[in-house]
Amino acid sequence: MSSTVVSGKGVEKVVDTAAGKLVILDGIDLEINEGETVAIVGASGSGKTTLLGILAGLDSATGGSVQLAGEELTCLDEEARALVRGEHVGFVFQSFQLLASLTALENVMLPAELRGESLAETQAVALLEKVGLGDRLGHYPRQLSGGEQQRVAIARAFASNPSVLFADEPTGNLDTHTGERIIELLFELNREFGTTLVMVTHDNRLAERCGRIIAIEAGHIQRTETA
Amino acid sequence: MNFKLVRRMAMRDIRSGEMGLLLVALIVAVGTVTSISLFVDRLHQALLQESANFLAADRQISSSREIPEEFKQAAAALGLETADTLSFPSMIFAGDNNQLVSVKAVSNNYPLRGELIVSDEPFERGYPIADTPRSGEVWLDSRLFPALGVKLGDIVEVGRAQLVVGRVLVSEPDRGGSFFDLGPRLLMNIDNVPSTQVVQPGSRLSYRLLLRGEEAPLEELKNSLTLKPNYRWVSIRESSPRIGSALDRAESFLLLGGLLGVLLAGIAVALSAHRYAARHYDHVGVLKTLGATPSQILTGFLSILLLVGAMAIAGGLAAGGLLHLIIVELLSSFIPVALPAPGLRPFALGTATGLICALSFAMPAFIHLKEVSPMRVIRRDLGVPPASQWLSYGAAVAGSVFLLVWYSNSLFLTFWTLVGAVGVVLVFGSLAYGLLRSGRVVGMQARSGWRLALSGLQRRSRENTAQILIFGMAIMLLLVLVLLRTALITEWRSQVPEQAANHFVMNIASDEVDAVQELIDTQATAGDFLYPMIRGRVVAVNGQDAKEYQDALTDRSFEGGTRLMSERNLTWIEEMPKDNQVVSGEWWSEGSSKPEVSLEQEYAEDFNLQIGDALTFDIGGQSVVAEVTSIRTLEWESMSPNFFIIFSPGALQDLPATYMTSFYLEPSKKVFLNTLLSNHPTITVIEIDALIEQVKSIIDRVTQAVELVLGLVLASGCLVLVASIQASRDARMAEHALVRTLGGTRRLIGGSLAAEFMVLGAFAGVVAVVGAEITVAVLQSQVFELSMQLHPWVWPVGPLVGAFIIVIVGLLGSRALVNSPPMLVLRGLN
Repeated sequence: MSSTVVSGKGVEKVVDTAAGKLVILDGIDLEINEGETVAIVGASGSGKTTLLGILAGLDSATGGSVQLAGEELTCLDEEARALVRGEHVGFVFQSFQLLASLTALENVMLPAELRGESLAETQAVALLEKVGLGDRLGHYPRQLSGGEQQRVAIARAFASNPSVLFADEPTGNLDTHTGERIIELLFELNREFGTTLVMVTHDNRLAERCGRIIAIEAGHIQRTETA
Repeated sequence: MNFKLVRRMAMRDIRSGEMGLLLVALIVAVGTVTSISLFVDRLHQALLQESANFLAADRQISSSREIPEEFKQAAAALGLETADTLSFPSMIFAGDNNQLVSVKAVSNNYPLRGELIVSDEPFERGYPIADTPRSGEVWLDSRLFPALGVKLGDIVEVGRAQLVVGRVLVSEPDRGGSFFDLGPRLLMNIDNVPSTQVVQPGSRLSYRLLLRGEEAPLEELKNSLTLKPNYRWVSIRESSPRIGSALDRAESFLLLGGLLGVLLAGIAVALSAHRYAARHYDHVGVLKTLGATPSQILTGFLSILLLVGAMAIAGGLAAGGLLHLIIVELLSSFIPVALPAPGLRPFALGTATGLICALSFAMPAFIHLKEVSPMRVIRRDLGVPPASQWLSYGAAVAGSVFLLVWYSNSLFLTFWTLVGAVGVVLVFGSLAYGLLRSGRVVGMQARSGWRLALSGLQRRSRENTAQILIFGMAIMLLLVLVLLRTALITEWRSQVPEQAANHFVMNIASDEVDAVQELIDTQATAGDFLYPMIRGRVVAVNGQDAKEYQDALTDRSFEGGTRLMSERNLTWIEEMPKDNQVVSGEWWSEGSSKPEVSLEQEYAEDFNLQIGDALTFDIGGQSVVAEVTSIRTLEWESMSPNFFIIFSPGALQDLPATYMTSFYLEPSKKVFLNTLLSNHPTITVIEIDALIEQVKSIIDRVTQAVELVLGLVLASGCLVLVASIQASRDARMAEHALVRTLGGTRRLIGGSLAAEFMVLGAFAGVVAVVGAEITVAVLQSQVFELSMQLHPWVWPVGPLVGAFIIVIVGLLGSRALVNSPPMLVLRGLN
């Protein structure tokens, strides 16, 4: 039986605004098991991106508890959460988020370098070859197309050999054809590395490829569908 | 983050231009301090050395009495070199001719600083010589040759001694302009003085012990000797107060200029560091999602700052060194003295300045980066918590205070600079904010460039207020320097005006005055005064015999000292001479017909003479009684005649006086002196043209140094303007790119930007003018001891120039973005 790698119990996020308190997440309960692929869907402003951020340890909840890879995130400060992220989490973003001043290879080496690993380069070259960019190692992000940049981002996400991969609208900035190829690549690597995938998306076709779909509305889980 | 990663990120940031402005601002700060300190250090030493030429030594001990042997032993024990001189007026003879000369007898190692200039024929151009008159030899001024009818090798009689004319003396370094030196110079060996038998008790003698050596032993000697009233310690500042104060003011100005340059560069560093940080928020967000902890971010970015700081320091030191070499080369023709080799101190100062600038001005922005939330990578709208104001401003103020105290060495200057800065920020900040907020504008107002600009100014009123203050401060600091420089240079130049009288004529008989004046008018420009002069001596004080009176004074021993009853030059005038100041009593009482007399302060103190005392003078056998009605101070080294005793007009006018006047003679017409002296053989001419030239050349060099510093500070000021415009560029550009995507033309955007910069520049100009006037007034009165004055011409010029400069720099800085397609601009900003 596979174990739970991400879980949230009564997760709340409330922010103060000029108009008073605004509830973004209101008591979310969920569990995601190892190797699962989960899509979080919902309209704009439903709270899905905030939920992704809290589950990934990028943001802190104002109530409830969140566990990631066995660590209780709500008890940790930003310093400790960063270490958890570095060890267990990979990210793919809509806007790629590559560092413009570093080459494709250097971007992929970054997670291992931050952990102080010495074999960063060999591993990064292998990953870039795997995503089909073996001949673009020395290119800077601005010299790559959108699809190529996202491939570099995917290679970087797997470079830390993460337990969980969080993806935020990974095809949102790409045309349909390129988006499909990127999704193929993402799922292929996900299978190969046995990673748990948690993805926020608007794209129903993409969501349907995941093992489970969690629909959020106004800070609540509206429904959960299993493929 | 490991060092390799840090280095890679730093290098890429530098290469991509992200770090460019920060690097340049740091280089400018380090370069400014290094070059100014290097140049000032060397120029200062050179100026001191050249100024020392005025004394022919580093210091002197002067007295009317012989210098005690123990002084010389004490100096020798401290490793100081010494030389002796003795000056006195004397009549010399050659056959039937005679002439009053100013004798200077010197020891063999004279002069200790500067050079003796001699020539082979009278009135010829001279050359330096490392020699002094041998025993039995005299060197004579050119004018003495025709006056005495002698040539080289002839014999002249000085008192009882017969001495051979060895050389033509053109000048000696410590000739000075003292009226002690009556008549042309005769230089002789001090060993021959006893054989002349002219040195008698009561003779007018000036003994000097010349000293040369390092500052420390000189100060030690000064402190160890307890000088009796008759012995005076003389340094360049006391000996030549005008040059001394010019040097002091120039030093203050250079330090202040250097400091302002560094502070301006510091502002540029802070602005560019904040911009760098703001453009790295996303960068940090990504690093954090990848597992970088806040402490890793902190150490990583601080390491980047230190690395860039180290590169900037190295670059700044090299640039400063190079710049100073170029300046030295450019000015080499103006600086005939060899500049001493620079020490390490300027480089240490440059390094420390770079570190302080990086730590106090740039570090707060870098520290703030660790606060960036990793959520920013998925929520771009998420702001960054504002940087700690205490940290940002506290560090900048601490750094500025440290630099201010360190450079100016003056808590007073530091305090007032800070008070001024805080006052300017508060008063003008509120004023600018109020003006920008006045009147409501709704929407973007994108119909015209001007309206678009005004609405932009209002919407970003906080940022624009800050920018007005920064522009205003930069322009203000520049104005302060320009105004001070002008005031200082005007003041210096006024001390030695063009065509200032460079010759004085004495002993003109009353029936010769017109003839002499006429002759002077043919070849030279007559001076602006004509003093009557008569010789006389005090014979009684309040009815008591002068000798008895003097003997009764217990605190003085008069053996060899100045005597009350010595014969002196007396004059009578209506107006008090300039540079004289009454310290007690009053200048001539109105309507009084009784003779009154005004005494010089030290003279009065030496003989314990008070207001109300009645002095009886013997003037050419006639007795005149006058009451002391005022006591004056005067500047002995001023280039005007000075008198111990001045009579009220009318008191002596029936007595047979001679007259004294002055004139300006061009150097090429020197031979006119011979015509003048042969037509009027009894008159005496005193030449101070060489002295005036020396003063002028020193002032010119100080002026050049001041101009140089101004240039460097201007460069720093421009850097601040560029940094400030860069810092606000992103926000401004985002709006304008949006207007362009909605159909706004480039012309509309260009016009709007120009209008916005013009308003900012004009406001900044107003801030700058008011701030500069107040600052200059305080500095003039408190630091430079000049009279306060307003400068109405800068009031319109400040806002106009401010608007002009900011429009030019602003449009140049925004050019690329105005010309790029709006999509690229928006994408670049995202």
